[in-house]
Amino acid sequence: MNPFSGYLTELGHGLVTTVELTVVTTIAALLLGVVVATLRICPVPLLRTVGLVYVEVLQNLPLLALLVLFVFALPQLGITFPLFTSAAIVIAAYEGAYFAEAIRAGINTVGVGQAEAARAIGLTFSQSLRYVILPQAFRAVIQPMGNISIALLMNTSLAAAVGVVELTQTANNVNLVEAQPLLIFTGAGLAYMLLALLIGLVTGRLERRLAIVR
Amino acid sequence: MNDPQRLLFDEPGPRGRRRIRIATVLGVLAIAAGLAVAIHQFAAHGELAADRWRPFGTWPIWRYLLIALWATLRAAAVTTVLSAVLGLLLALGRLSRRRSLRLLAGAYVEIFRTVPVLLLIYVTLFALPAYGLNFSLFWKLVVPLVVANSAAFAEIFRAGIRALDRGQAEAGQAIGLRPAQVMRLVVLPQALVKLAPSLVSQLVGLLKDTSLGFVVSFTELLYSGQVLASYTHLLIQTYLVVAVLYLVVNASLSKFARVLQARNGRLFGRRRTPTAPPRPDDRALPTR
Amino acid sequence: MSILTKRLRPRRTVAIAAASVAVAMAAAGCGGGGSGTPGTPGGAGVPGLGGTGVVDQAVYDAAPVAADADIPAGSTMEKIRQRGKLLVGGSLDAPLLSQQDPVSGKVEGFDASLARLLAKYIIGRPEVETVTIGTQTREALLRARSVDTVFQTYTITPERATQIAFAGPYLTSGLAVAVKKENTTIHGVQDLAGRKVVVGTNTPAVTALPTAAPGSEQVAFATDPQAVQALLQGRGEAYVQDFTLLASNAKVNPGMKVVGQPFTTEPYGIGLNRDDAQFKEFVNNWLTKIQADGTWARVWQATLGTVVEGGAPTPPAIGSAQGS
Repeated sequence: MNPFSGYLTELGHGLVTTVELTVVTTIAALLLGVVVATLRICPVPLLRTVGLVYVEVLQNLPLLALLVLFVFALPQLGITFPLFTSAAIVIAAYEGAYFAEAIRAGINTVGVGQAEAARAIGLTFSQSLRYVILPQAFRAVIQPMGNISIALLMNTSLAAAVGVVELTQTANNVNLVEAQPLLIFTGAGLAYMLLALLIGLVTGRLERRLAIVR
Repeated sequence: MNDPQRLLFDEPGPRGRRRIRIATVLGVLAIAAGLAVAIHQFAAHGELAADRWRPFGTWPIWRYLLIALWATLRAAAVTTVLSAVLGLLLALGRLSRRRSLRLLAGAYVEIFRTVPVLLLIYVTLFALPAYGLNFSLFWKLVVPLVVANSAAFAEIFRAGIRALDRGQAEAGQAIGLRPAQVMRLVVLPQALVKLAPSLVSQLVGLLKDTSLGFVVSFTELLYSGQVLASYTHLLIQTYLVVAVLYLVVNASLSKFARVLQARNGRLFGRRRTPTAPPRPDDRALPTR
Repeated sequence: MSILTKRLRPRRTVAIAAASVAVAMAAAGCGGGGSGTPGTPGGAGVPGLGGTGVVDQAVYDAAPVAADADIPAGSTMEKIRQRGKLLVGGSLDAPLLSQQDPVSGKVEGFDASLARLLAKYIIGRPEVETVTIGTQTREALLRARSVDTVFQTYTITPERATQIAFAGPYLTSGLAVAVKKENTTIHGVQDLAGRKVVVGTNTPAVTALPTAAPGSEQVAFATDPQAVQALLQGRGEAYVQDFTLLASNAKVNPGMKVVGQPFTTEPYGIGLNRDDAQFKEFVNNWLTKIQADGTWARVWQATLGTVVEGGAPTPPAIGSAQGS
């Protein structure tokens, strides 16, 4: 009667794939976000434009369109990656734009005096960014970045549309055999909610420990 | 907007200017190299051949794509109206003085903020028909989108209403308005004007969500792109054109949001505070 | 007041611009003409199928029309006749079965042509409106009467027959195996055990493969064109799908070929609402008629006949499948 019991291994694999995809992608997107945010505020006008164009393009295209383009169209040019890697690259590139904007918003919150002080003691652009601005900027936007991570988690479900067998796809497959859609999809939904809750708890903790009270 | 960025570096001196020039030249070279590799890959696989692009210069193909874009916009418009109304009700519910309403609205928002839209689509596709709830393709796409986006809209509205100066509501009460009247006549009109940019930004996310029509085979832009690609076998070209269409529409919407933001800046004056500019969408999901 | 109106101006211009774009697109939408209206003739420099799978107009012209006596007042047939078009659930991306020509907007192929012939039988003109449906939404759409019929390589099964009714079967096919052209190791489903196999999400292959090819690993894609691309890109060694669909794909994609014979038997039926025995009988009578007068064979020749060897097969006997 219980449609889960016979499929625990499959559902477990799906869950693990979703978690893997989320973790790998979050790290990659975060690094990318720092790079793009730096580009957007650096002294070189050309690089600022590059950062701006990156954010504009990636934020204004549907993730699904990017996935389809990358997985089905790019191989026409002889560029083929495994499905999981493809999904990870695309989602990281997409969410990287959002992390970049969050980090930039964080940089904007850092007091004017901080940047002036950094310059006054002779720090270069990259030094003041690394030692003064970014550490403070990150602390200001822990909550928004947590939200982006949650959005990223939910977006990993789109990898199902390009053949990655993660949690949503597994649920779909199990449902095809068991025909118990409400039960199975509610179960999968609960799993996503728990994962999101976990991210929320971690960011909440980080925020309490690191946030700067002004 | 530029001020904080300017502060990170001095007006460059001779050495700094030289470095910027070097970095610019290197950047141009890198971009040129990237373009060259891309063009080479296209050419090496014959994707640059004129007859692989010619169809996209013909009216019938464009008419097909524009009809698809029209379907995308229609789905986005209906989703917007419904989720905005539902979102507003949910936000009012969360701010209500009745505990049960607060809990109910809160639970709804928290649940549907953290469940993937794709999963909701599967539920409308596979689960609901078994209970006699069976929609046309259009609604099979729109209903899950409304469920998810109304939660996001509710968070935007709630943040906006709470961000409004308390004095406004108190002044309303002082002149003898009932709570509902205060909300309707004093708080909401102001909150909505201030929220306009965030709401338009949310529209971009929502419009992107309609690409999930791909999954329910509703003939919006992305799905039509696939039908077109399967007919013409021009995958790269079709999906690139589809991407450009999305980009044009969404970039216009984003631009519109910035225009509204700038106008609000002028309307309400720029408060110079060390904290972040009010970002009511911080708690709303920025992407989907 | 004046301040406000002044401030609002930019928004108004944007709104007007947006409105005019919308109007332009609505105009394009109308010009597109939904169902059946022949647009610009096909071709127009579009590579691809460009014309194959199109049944001659003469076949439609010669096709039978039901006598008025067969369409009693209050019946589903009468409603369809009054509406002036048949609502058909089907695909837009199945070559030679039901594929839309983006240029003309017409849907062509074996399933699409039969649907049009049924429309002609009821209405007198081959007017159909194709509603795109996914493979898992068909029963629901029929039960809700969102569509009159489903023509979509729809396998008749006893389980499905508890929810809907099937007219036919009108064609027998089965799951088969396709591989890349250069593959010489896979000759049929028996060689798939333990291999990576591309399938369509929610297709019979998902449930048939574990028994037919034990230990095979499935890579599922939502649509047939995606699955074909996946096979050609080497994301799986084989693609298991309906034989007619694979044969059609192989025709337009020189990079792939069908190997072996179908390893299951799938009788395809026309999906109908369950509580409408009158309509089912009517559709079955029509099927018998077009099979007897050779129309069925002519449609098959013009579509699937272009990729399947040998002449038109003998159509399956009406009601021969369990559940029909």
